[in-house]
Amino acid sequence: MQAHSNLLNWILWMPMIGAIVTLLIPSKMEKGIRWWSLVNTLTTFILTLVLYSKFDTTVPGMQEAFNVKIPWIAQFHINYSLGIDGISLPMILLTGLLFFLCIMSSWTITKQIKAYFSLFLFLQCSVFGVFLALDFFLFYVFWEVMLIPMFFLIGIWGGENKEYAAVKFFLYTFFGSILMLIGMVALYYASGQGADSFDILALSGGHFRNLNLELFGTNFAFNKLLFIFLFIGFAIKVPVFPFHTWLPHAHVQAPTAISVILAGVLLKMGTYGFLRIAYPIFPEASKYFSYSIAVLGIINVIYGAFCAMAQNDVKKLVAYSSVSHMGFVMLGLAAMTVQGMNGAVLQMFNHGTSTAMMFLLIGILYERSHHRWIVKPDGTKGFGGLYTQLPKFSIIFIIAMFASMGLPGLSGFISEALIFLGIYERFTSITALGLIGLLIGAAYLLWMYKRMFFGDVIDECKTYTDVNAREIAYMTPLCIAVIVFGIYPSPILNMMRASVGKLVSLLATF
Amino acid sequence: MPFNYLENLTHYIPELIICFTMIACILFESAYEKNDSDRGILYLIAILGLGSAGVFAYQKIFAENTFILGSALAIDSFSSTAKVLMIIGTIGALYLSKISKDIYQDLKGEFVIMSTGVLVGGCLLASANNMLILYIGIETLSILSYVMASFKKTDDRSSEAGLKYVLYGGVSAAVMLFGMSHIYGVLGTINFQEMATALSGIAQSYPNNQLTILIPSFILFIAGIGYKISSVPFHMWTPDVYEGSPMPVTTFFSIVPKIAGITILLRVSSLFFSESNLLSVSWFGIISSMSILTITVGNIAAIGQRSVKRMLAYSSISHAGMMMLGIVVLNTVGMRSILFYAVTYIFMTLVAFYILSIVNDEYDNDHFERFSGLIYKKPLMAILMAVTMFSLAGIPPLSGFVAKFHILNAVVKEGYYTLAILAGLNSVISLYYYLKIVRLMVFKPYEGSENLVGFGVLNQTIVTVLFIPIVMLGIFWAGTMAKLNLANILMN
Repeated sequence: MQAHSNLLNWILWMPMIGAIVTLLIPSKMEKGIRWWSLVNTLTTFILTLVLYSKFDTTVPGMQEAFNVKIPWIAQFHINYSLGIDGISLPMILLTGLLFFLCIMSSWTITKQIKAYFSLFLFLQCSVFGVFLALDFFLFYVFWEVMLIPMFFLIGIWGGENKEYAAVKFFLYTFFGSILMLIGMVALYYASGQGADSFDILALSGGHFRNLNLELFGTNFAFNKLLFIFLFIGFAIKVPVFPFHTWLPHAHVQAPTAISVILAGVLLKMGTYGFLRIAYPIFPEASKYFSYSIAVLGIINVIYGAFCAMAQNDVKKLVAYSSVSHMGFVMLGLAAMTVQGMNGAVLQMFNHGTSTAMMFLLIGILYERSHHRWIVKPDGTKGFGGLYTQLPKFSIIFIIAMFASMGLPGLSGFISEALIFLGIYERFTSITALGLIGLLIGAAYLLWMYKRMFFGDVIDECKTYTDVNAREIAYMTPLCIAVIVFGIYPSPILNMMRASVGKLVSLLATF
Repeated sequence: MPFNYLENLTHYIPELIICFTMIACILFESAYEKNDSDRGILYLIAILGLGSAGVFAYQKIFAENTFILGSALAIDSFSSTAKVLMIIGTIGALYLSKISKDIYQDLKGEFVIMSTGVLVGGCLLASANNMLILYIGIETLSILSYVMASFKKTDDRSSEAGLKYVLYGGVSAAVMLFGMSHIYGVLGTINFQEMATALSGIAQSYPNNQLTILIPSFILFIAGIGYKISSVPFHMWTPDVYEGSPMPVTTFFSIVPKIAGITILLRVSSLFFSESNLLSVSWFGIISSMSILTITVGNIAAIGQRSVKRMLAYSSISHAGMMMLGIVVLNTVGMRSILFYAVTYIFMTLVAFYILSIVNDEYDNDHFERFSGLIYKKPLMAILMAVTMFSLAGIPPLSGFVAKFHILNAVVKEGYYTLAILAGLNSVISLYYYLKIVRLMVFKPYEGSENLVGFGVLNQTIVTVLFIPIVMLGIFWAGTMAKLNLANILMN
């Protein structure tokens, strides 16, 4: 392996090159734009696979061989600094895969294709930036930039109430990141404004313990208050109850591909923020608040599940199921044990694949039915007997549903089992409540399936056609992923083990 | 030091050039027929004159700092930087006045002359080193502004704007003069350096209680300056005046008088209150609460507006508040953050007002709905406007964010977390109304058949050129900041 690899630079900027080239293609060449985007995302995905093949799973922490560090703003010691470790690699792979598949699912977009695909590739660039950045300032820039393409993607190509959803999404996330910004500046001064004051790795390790901070005339412990700032910033993204109210709107209004990206990748940015920034920098405060995080996590699990059960809109149902499943990730994070943390990272990956499947399938169905009602507002059935009409579709749906439910043999099971193993050591009663959440999860998914796929075929459904070749093409990789990683999760677990172990041992010293 | 008039003048070249430009403009203006539509030469003279003044002022940033004319003026790198910024703002407003239909043809000449005159006042204010020059500067700045506000003779709202401006301006100037005379009564001098020495002398020989008498005087004093930078609670005139004035005048008002006011407030604060005593603590309290109030009131009032111009007026109030926040910390970090904020603010304001002005000319009003579907008609302009709005709200990696980052950085460095959080959360509020315009431009369908003739190739190019710094300063701001880091206030 060469000493200085530019692979991370290529992964980060490849989508940006794609976006710029897309802008240069004349807007009449719709086919050209689509194929170019597909080739571009495929290249990016192959680059992430190359990264995976070169990745050394035995090294904990950042892999020196891939690090990129260029001074950016010398006055504040801000660097353009990228790196990769076992926690970010699964997210990189997931991002590469999902964006590639989403381009295929976006084939049916007809409105302003050029703008759509260039914004979409721009979004991919900013998501990679968040997962690769090792400089807090750079991380923040990418974290915020991501809002701009998302705002337009939801707002232009979304459903009937798209503007409200787009604005709500933007404002909520911006609110959280302002607190993060202030925390970031405060950290800069607390760490002595030295050469590495924005360097996430140098900040990590539990400095800043005996500092105080005055806010509204009251003294607070520096690390606890700043942890809360960062927590709110990340929790809005996850979304943790009570900051979740933007999510159902954004999901329901967003076009299919954007819902997939939102649930599959963007929500993980929140939990990734905990793993990369909040936990390593403030291990003591994280430990101090771990019970509160667990409580919020369990509220997410149960409340999200009950909300999902009450929905008549199947997309909203899946959106709330995301809230519930991200609650499991929060539980794993709160456990701070090896199994719990591994489970959390694995759940981030697995939820990314299974929920992406669900949203893609709903998108496929929507293209046929043009509505998503399980029960229409006037009380009649929206779907019925789909199983006899769309057999292939129904089988893929079953796989997605069971993976999301956590049925043994499919991917969701392993990660949830690890999370429960991890958290049992610390919060037994919460584990018991979490199992109830699992049960409710099974209930709403099965009930939805029963109402939509079984029973009498309603007239409307008789005209629907089964999945076509293109749709099968982008569902297959995900089907393989949920089945293979359900039986044999070691590739991902090996990837993250060393890095997660390092983080857990850091937390264990406090 | 012997009083060498000619040698002093060499330090005063930018202002002299501006004055002569104004005189030349007056002479040429009288040569035009009343209805002669093209006043090209006039604009050429003005822009060339201001441009060369800008070059000289820019050179002064790197020259030695000195007091001239018997310590009446301080020519230091800080005031020179401020002058360069004001000149850039004026040139921007000048070109806008040429293309705008909001200024009547026969009044274009007057706009050039008067804006140059206001600029002289602004430069005077930026360099003022005693109370008298400060007052003269403010009055030069104001008197011509009153006329400019009522340029649109046939429009009632413009006359109303002018009258309101005069009334508010007169009262606040009187209040300020009263405060200044009181301060003079206590300290016995009008020179800033001597005043600062006298203040610290009083603070040392009579700890605390003697200083209390000066607090109300300084509050009266700040009323005058607060009025110029339209900070709450002296902001009531701003929306009406901004709305009533023609578009180029509004653009001009939201740049030059604001920067001039901020610079003098900064100079006074850092000269008088850098020592810690009862007076500086009260000053800190006053400025910090004023700035937070300014930001918040400006933002909240902007939400409900129907006219884009009025919305921008309120948003400019809140930006002035952000700049004032940099004064609170009373150190050079804050000062340089303010200068950077001013740089970015000028370009953002110019781009926003250029686009607004051209849209306004087409429809003859500036309601939000006029922006509906702009992206389908003029995609480039709509994108530039959208990015400018994001920059105003402070989204990275745009210059507006970097400016906010610098201000927050200065505030957090001194440990004023409360101020930082209140100011930061305000940008969330501001994002809401900035998004409103983006939403209309991009999400709404395009109605009507107007083809927006104002967006010709030339104007689009100029807007794009003005827009480049908004993005570039957001990513590569190190070079600009290095220049601004040279800025210093000459203390004694």
